[in-house]
Amino acid sequence: MSAIKLDTIRECFEGVIPAVLGTADLAGMPNASYLSQVQYMDRDHVALSYQFFNKTRANLLANPNARLTVVNPYTGAQYSLALQYLRTETSGQLFESMKAKLAGLASHVGMTGVFKLLGSDVFRVTEIVCVDPDVAPPPPPPPPRNTLAALRLCSERLLACRDLAQLFDETMACLNEKMGISHAMLLHDPQAACLYTVASHGYEQSGVGSEIALGQGVIGVAAREGTAIRISHMTAEYSYSRAIRQQAQDTGLGHALQTGIPFPELAESRSQLAVPNQGCERLICVLYVESPQDLRFTYDDEDALVTLCGQLAMAMHIMQNVPVPEPEPEVEAVPDVQGPPLAVRHFADNDSVFFGKLRDQGRGRSGAVGTAAGFCRARQDSLQQSRTAPGPARAPA
Amino acid sequence: MRGGVSISVASCDRNGMPQLVRAIGCRVSDDGGRVTVFVPEAKSQAVQRDIFASGAIAVAFTQPSTHRTVQLKSRDARVSALQADDAQLVEAYRDAFVAEVGAIGFHEKMVRTLLSCPPEELVALSFCPSEAYSQTPGPNAGKKLEAGE
Repeated sequence: MSAIKLDTIRECFEGVIPAVLGTADLAGMPNASYLSQVQYMDRDHVALSYQFFNKTRANLLANPNARLTVVNPYTGAQYSLALQYLRTETSGQLFESMKAKLAGLASHVGMTGVFKLLGSDVFRVTEIVCVDPDVAPPPPPPPPRNTLAALRLCSERLLACRDLAQLFDETMACLNEKMGISHAMLLHDPQAACLYTVASHGYEQSGVGSEIALGQGVIGVAAREGTAIRISHMTAEYSYSRAIRQQAQDTGLGHALQTGIPFPELAESRSQLAVPNQGCERLICVLYVESPQDLRFTYDDEDALVTLCGQLAMAMHIMQNVPVPEPEPEVEAVPDVQGPPLAVRHFADNDSVFFGKLRDQGRGRSGAVGTAAGFCRARQDSLQQSRTAPGPARAPA
Repeated sequence: MRGGVSISVASCDRNGMPQLVRAIGCRVSDDGGRVTVFVPEAKSQAVQRDIFASGAIAVAFTQPSTHRTVQLKSRDARVSALQADDAQLVEAYRDAFVAEVGAIGFHEKMVRTLLSCPPEELVALSFCPSEAYSQTPGPNAGKKLEAGE
């Protein structure tokens, strides 16, 4: 295996500059095709989208050797990867993830039904070579922040939340302050039929209460498929879809096209990431972030938001299922009392309370005069001591 | 093919392992029968070896802004030195490609790094196309092109 590892060149798989796949048939005739989707799987494996490339497909089934060239979109450095075709997946998490990304794109440009992933071709990477090590590429721009450190700060703030409103507010604030994400919305899925916005940040209209159907756009498809969808370069991917749309119309498949869905939230949206979150095997929420900047969200950002949203979803799940504690009974406020101090006397022998000055102690204790406020306070004190006062001042027996 | 298109060259060794290299410019003979692409000598060592051994070559031309793609194939490819005017073709190609992808948001510095190679370190791969395919993504991807299409 090469010294260069796949997870150190993940930015090459953003689809910004299409990758080139070389294959060959058994007669030794090569074939070159362009790919828009290369999916990083782990340090030794990538998956390529199987859509239209018929000759590539036939070659791979006959000869598993393949060559992939990818380009770092920041530096222009090229990498050559030797691949071995292993299998094609047509279901499961990998397939759904790649399919959802493709379906999200298709939905946005009205290509549903035309733009279809037939399979995820899985390859083992046996060699990675930087094609031009002698040409020092310009250094990539430094990351604007340490994503892992930001994730920890966000996590700590969410842990301190005590109710849903605070949780939503803190999530939006954390994304903005700690991760520099200026446009975000959180959508809740109460009945697994449609999503509605419960919080947002950065938009002219909050959009809270607005609804999106499952399967609609990037957010709806991410929710339906239960996998994160990240689009890093809307212009390139949009034009990719548009090229197919044009050809579909030219070949009579135009009836299968939908009307394009605009982006009402952010007019100049260039990068998008939708992260659905499940708790206890049901969809709880979808976090959607976007940016007017190309390539705003990286593989690292996706990892961070998926992790944060896992915590968010579990917090929502717990808060929704734990009854709100009953507020403690408030002690009734005592109005200000004007006038001279009032003497209160308690006689332990018959548990009587007398207010004010006793007129004639020698003739019994009748005629005591008190105030309602004084009585109330005495009664509350008595309640707190679990004792019951015998009632208004009365003459001892 | 002579505009600002992305040009990728594929070859294959005797063990069935493909090789790839990005070309920097293209020349088409006056009669249209012979196509020559220019590749960096150092980055195309494996491709050159394969072509010496078998003559098989595939070259895909794609326009980044539209993804329109055509692939040409041949079994008579050969490696040669550049002709006198080829360096100008290479320079013109770089400018055209920078303009093409600059219009869709790519920075010139990155693009020129991608296409960097001193003229004296370029070699020519020429061939007479025997097959042509449309590879524009979509329903017709992979369709064999006939004369006149």
